[in-house]
Amino acid sequence: MPFAQFLRRLGFAAIVVAGVAVITFAISHLIPGDPARMVAGDRASDEIIAHIRQVMGLDRSLPVQFAIYLRDLLHGDLGVSLRTGRPVAQDIATFLPATLELGLVSLILAVVVGIPLGVASAVHKDGPIDQLARTVSVAGISMPVFWLGLILILVFYADLDLLPIGGRLSDDVLPPERITGFMLIDTLIAGDPEAFRSALAHLVLPASVLGFAQLGTITRQIRASMLDALQEDYVRTARANGLRPASIVFGHALRNALIPSVTLLGLLFGDLLYGAVLTETVFAWPGIGTYVVNSIQSLDFPAIMGFTLIASVGYVLINLGVDFIYLALDPQLRRAAS
Amino acid sequence: MRRSLISAFALVSLLAAGGAARAATNVLVLDKAEDPPTCDPGIEISNNGYTLLYPTYERLVRYKGGSSDIEGDLAESWSVDKDGSTWTVKLKPGHKFDDGSLVDAAAVKFSLDRTMKLNQGPAGNLPSLKSVTVVDPLTLRFEQTSAFGPFMSTLATFGASVINPKAMAHEKDGDMAKGWLADHTAGSGPYRISSWERNQSIILDRNSNYTGPAPKLQRIVIKIVRELSARRLQLEHGDADIIEPVPIDQADAMKGNPKLVVESHPSFLAVYVYLNNKKPPLDNVKVRQALSYAVDYQAVVKEILKGQGVQMRGAVPEGMWGHDPNGFQFSYDPEKAKALLKEAGVGELKLTYTFSQAEPTWEPVGLAMQASFARIGVKLELQNLADVVKRQMQAAGNTELSAGTWTPDFADPFMFMNFWFDPAKKGGPGNRAFYDNPKVTELITRAAQVPDQAERQKLYVEAQKITTPDAPYLLLFQENNVFVRRAAVQGFVYNPMLIEVYNFADMSKTD
Repeated sequence: MPFAQFLRRLGFAAIVVAGVAVITFAISHLIPGDPARMVAGDRASDEIIAHIRQVMGLDRSLPVQFAIYLRDLLHGDLGVSLRTGRPVAQDIATFLPATLELGLVSLILAVVVGIPLGVASAVHKDGPIDQLARTVSVAGISMPVFWLGLILILVFYADLDLLPIGGRLSDDVLPPERITGFMLIDTLIAGDPEAFRSALAHLVLPASVLGFAQLGTITRQIRASMLDALQEDYVRTARANGLRPASIVFGHALRNALIPSVTLLGLLFGDLLYGAVLTETVFAWPGIGTYVVNSIQSLDFPAIMGFTLIASVGYVLINLGVDFIYLALDPQLRRAAS
Repeated sequence: MRRSLISAFALVSLLAAGGAARAATNVLVLDKAEDPPTCDPGIEISNNGYTLLYPTYERLVRYKGGSSDIEGDLAESWSVDKDGSTWTVKLKPGHKFDDGSLVDAAAVKFSLDRTMKLNQGPAGNLPSLKSVTVVDPLTLRFEQTSAFGPFMSTLATFGASVINPKAMAHEKDGDMAKGWLADHTAGSGPYRISSWERNQSIILDRNSNYTGPAPKLQRIVIKIVRELSARRLQLEHGDADIIEPVPIDQADAMKGNPKLVVESHPSFLAVYVYLNNKKPPLDNVKVRQALSYAVDYQAVVKEILKGQGVQMRGAVPEGMWGHDPNGFQFSYDPEKAKALLKEAGVGELKLTYTFSQAEPTWEPVGLAMQASFARIGVKLELQNLADVVKRQMQAAGNTELSAGTWTPDFADPFMFMNFWFDPAKKGGPGNRAFYDNPKVTELITRAAQVPDQAERQKLYVEAQKITTPDAPYLLLFQENNVFVRRAAVQGFVYNPMLIEVYNFADMSKTD
């Protein structure tokens, strides 16, 4: 991508993030409900409420509050959560890695299983594998996450006593020193196989549930685009030239079929954030989803703003990433760009 | 493909098997639905946070066993001067903070000054406190702005927890160590927080410097498990020893399990309906009385609470002094209700009941009222709002009938009478009916000032003889507090003032 085009993209991204900031700020301040009362409790006297409003800066006009917010933001300060009393940045740093870890592991599960399943189902269209894949993908898309979660808990925890539920580590395992916030990585860095095992065990059920939902979407997408690709002239040509079927499927058809899937993966990663809320609830996973829901319920707008901003920056970055991957996959785009 | 998938899953499962280890008998696991917001005595106002404050800090006084009477905790004795505005408290010698330093009068002064200076919710529970003076290392003097009868009771509230002044070493930008005390403790209670993984688990370990007998439970693990079914499974599986909260229908289902004990006790949690006394036709006492006769109280308690509660009799709940067991109580009488409406001269009546999902009983109560009001010709519309919006509307006086709950912060009828009926507390602070009766105001104001409890009791009973028939609120029921524990857990003592609070230091486990 030429430098000028890159800068333009970046400029657009900045506008998107700024827009999100303005809209979130406006909405969270215009809905009825007094955050000072949420902090002090309903029955606090008017004098205490006035004191808290002053401490929180709520007694100033909205534009002034917004200006102060922006000024702090430019200094990397997301403010202090009204509910927890801690810096929002610190809260997000505490909870986001747990959600990202769960999301990434489930996405990897979904991709590793979903792509081969989609390919196999397209190659053996209408055969037994295809039937199975289609059943799996319909089930994955339509099965509610919390329901599947509860069923898996019943089977693997309550009946078989095979896997633990609740949190990221067992109570009797000492948490490793927090370096990345990713439990699998931190336990490895700490060289603690017992803790790693426990972290992995705690990930299996929630990641399977979250991954299963995405598996359906990925399988279906890969199957559809593989079927299209297999109809293309270049595949027929390759076949006529006597190329090996494996080389046709993986070297030619799959490469093209993957292009729309990259967009899909970008979108799915975004979906993870809200799919995670339900999964986190069912499995008592201490991630950002729970934090955001609690923040919304208690009108904790520094926390709501902070999360919205981080999430939108994340989306923008993922989109930029998707664009780059396109370039790597699609020579036509590469040529057009240069 | 399918086979390899299954074997991969089985492999990971095997690798991970045994992850669910049962806790030892000196470790108690409590499953909660929400992470406590903080454990700062100067900030925290939720029962969820009190779970942590109770075992980690001591206060000057505490509730005696299961009653709402107080006894000395750090205080050895106390006295009040004649006009009821200066209290002198003597401390027990030898109590120590978790770092080994002594609890003295200076620490008590520091703690109360801090709560007052932070001036947040907990400060509201010390409404009359003007100043704290250290007389000598074991003696304190408390000056009140005016005579205040319930003062000693307010010292049992969590805002009066005694904090080690050394916590100020963690002060940042003049925050009075708010940041640090939000998830650390510096008290003299039997336990201390040794780790807090946000939204995941909190570990309390024994405080080796605690003055009382060493608790049997070495460690308390509080796990945050939002989903009720997951909490229930962990309990049934022995991975949790106590779970809360538990809705009444679920508790009912767990009753048959011999390994579990459903703890259901009368509480001071009042569920009632605010009638907006400012808004016609609810400004007419006859209309309010008619509505009070149109609620089928017994059916509500039986069906909605499954019998786990009692109909209220007056504003002061059963179990607290100041309650009048012979006081007036409305009963379900549609004919009388109709007659009262006729006397009031109102024809077709259409009213709105505003509620939220914050309390599970509010919606069924609304439906029950809708049905029984219809029988006296009153059409009730149900308005379901987000909780913050509902509260805002109530505080501003923009509702007609709206749902409410109330629990006392300290064990004194003041918490009910002087909040619900004082015209100075209209709106959010407590008088959510916007009720104003000069005679009642006079009685409750006097009752708040007199130091003598017998005299105060008389005044509060007299006031209730007016307020109950005046019907500014629909007094529905006192709901039981319900949670479930494993039968192996011993020694729990229920106190209606201490909801979601456990006397861990006296508890033990048999397996």
